[in-house]
Amino acid sequence: MVENPENHVDVEQLSELKDIMEDEFHTLIDTFLSDSSSKIEGLAAAIGAADAEEVRKLAHSLKGSSSNICASQLTEYARQLEHMGKEGSTEGAQDVFEKLKMEFDEVAVILKNEI
Amino acid sequence: MDTPASSSSIAQTEDEQLRILIADDNDSDRLILQTIVRKEGHTVYTAADGQEAIDQFKEKSPDLVLLDALMPNVDGFQAARAIRDLAGENLVPIIFLTSLKDAASLADCLDAGGHDFLSKPYNRIILKAKIQAFARMRRLHETVQKQRDEISKHHDHLVHEQEVAKVVFDNIAHPGCIDAPNIKHLLSPMAVFNGDLVLASRKPNGGMYVFLGDFTGHGLPAAIGAMPVSEIFYGMAQKGFSMQDILREINKKLKRILPVGVFCCACMVDLSFRKESIELWVGGLPDIFIHRADDGVVESFRSKHLPLGVLDNEKFNVDSEVVPMRLTDRVYIWSDGILEATNPEMQMFGEEGVRAVFEKNTERNKLFDELLEGVEIFTGSAEQDDDYTVVEVTMVSEEALGDYFNERGKSSLAGGPKDWSMTYELRPQTLREFNPLPLLTHLLMEVPGLRPHSGKIYTILAELYSNALEHGVLGLESDLKSSPIGFAQYYGQRTSRLADLNSGSVRFHLDHNPIDSGGELKIIVEDTGPGFNFEAKKDNEHRTEGYCGRGIPLINTMCKSVRYLPPGNKVEVIYEWCVDS
Repeated sequence: MVENPENHVDVEQLSELKDIMEDEFHTLIDTFLSDSSSKIEGLAAAIGAADAEEVRKLAHSLKGSSSNICASQLTEYARQLEHMGKEGSTEGAQDVFEKLKMEFDEVAVILKNEI
Repeated sequence: MDTPASSSSIAQTEDEQLRILIADDNDSDRLILQTIVRKEGHTVYTAADGQEAIDQFKEKSPDLVLLDALMPNVDGFQAARAIRDLAGENLVPIIFLTSLKDAASLADCLDAGGHDFLSKPYNRIILKAKIQAFARMRRLHETVQKQRDEISKHHDHLVHEQEVAKVVFDNIAHPGCIDAPNIKHLLSPMAVFNGDLVLASRKPNGGMYVFLGDFTGHGLPAAIGAMPVSEIFYGMAQKGFSMQDILREINKKLKRILPVGVFCCACMVDLSFRKESIELWVGGLPDIFIHRADDGVVESFRSKHLPLGVLDNEKFNVDSEVVPMRLTDRVYIWSDGILEATNPEMQMFGEEGVRAVFEKNTERNKLFDELLEGVEIFTGSAEQDDDYTVVEVTMVSEEALGDYFNERGKSSLAGGPKDWSMTYELRPQTLREFNPLPLLTHLLMEVPGLRPHSGKIYTILAELYSNALEHGVLGLESDLKSSPIGFAQYYGQRTSRLADLNSGSVRFHLDHNPIDSGGELKIIVEDTGPGFNFEAKKDNEHRTEGYCGRGIPLINTMCKSVRYLPPGNKVEVIYEWCVDS
């Protein structure tokens, strides 16, 4: 269990999303988690290769889906990475990425709990 | 589990159900969006990248597209352009899905053909409102398109109808002589729908009628009036009716058929090439100009009547002016369009403009073209906008117009009266009010095979009748007509004496006998006058110049014999004819 899930997700919005998705909520969470895992793997590789453009693209995409799933802190880290990618520099990206990865693990637990 | 979905769709019963394409490479985002949109009651198609979006669009032609901006392969911007091309003139709203926030990126979305954007995270209420707004816009666009197509269909229909009407009109107008060598005119090909009308016809006696009409209004009302005017004009002109009879008939018809406020400003000119004179009637048109050949003087003749179709026939006045004309004198008739032609400073060409052209002219043959050029230069438009009508008619010798009398078709020899005689006496009241020539000509044309001779026969009857009436019954001196002043006096006396006539008569005796391939027509015209010394006149008979005297020599050339019978108040003409082989 994660303490204070409200530090990681917008609980109210998430509950609304759950209402809308009904039966599909389960599928949505599965889809989001597997999608995001592969994007995070991609990000690790792109940062290792100092490929700023690739970092921008993946972070942008992750930012969009995280925001829709109400994971506000995850969205914020993705936004920071996207910004760095856009500036053409991967300096300091590794630090943000580590935080993002930890945040993702927390969010994953919260979301799975919601199912 | 069905309950929440159905309650939400009940709330949507007022809303239109659309078919919506959602293109997003992000599986979880697409899943959320798809679920929201489907719950609003719409049908959803999905695509995971730009190329798939284009393919789906081709296949399903959805009503609305939700398009992620950044996608692999073909991105949202490229897909939007392709979709807009495919949609053609149909409006397919494209809403970009984007988590881009900067102004330039949002502007790119609209530049690529997007109509709006929707930011992530998706807000269900905003999404619903946008879909509804675009559904309304789409319906509006469809309505506008439908109305545009309808307007264009109506327009085509109208143009087609006008073309058909023009053909009908041309068929009626066909027998005219508007292309005669002494007539120049400017008239738009579709002028009948501007309300302008120019008609010209030869008369059976060799003369010519020219008519210019300008209907109030445009379009169908004007065109409707033109048809009967044309038909009456040509029908009556060819049967030899007088200008007065024709004007009366047109006026009567127009008064009856046209609504109040629609009428026809008109001018009619009766040209006599033999007498070298014209008779003018002007109703409501601008002044008529006569340009004299010898000294270049311009005489103008004011309208003295109301337009055709205004007055009842009892009040309608057909008084006309007779004006002597020398060879190559010209008459100019126009609709008010030429005077009202305006330049960019909104000044009108006016009568001063017209007069200036006449004053500048040095070569008479070019006057007509100079007039049109003058208007063109004044208005500053190289294009002839054709909303005015001008006619120039030149006095020429009858011979210059070519042979008119043989242009009629042949007619059947079968049936009809061939062997008969009749006597027709006209007494004062009739002489005052009635022209017997159309009736007699019509009667004679019942003789099979004689119709191609109608022109000559009309000429003979007309000459003999006017001699009998004017010299015999009214006692007018033909010598008067040898000077322009006398000419006017002569017609003045003719009118006043005819009005006061209460005794005397003219008697026609017609006798037709068939012969092998034609017939022999004897015409005797007798008047109650004292007769004249025809022996003494004989020397003068071959005179061919001046204001009179062409009649009898001309008849001599047409007939087998012309004989005066004592005491000179009776003339007998034998006209022999055969069918052309």
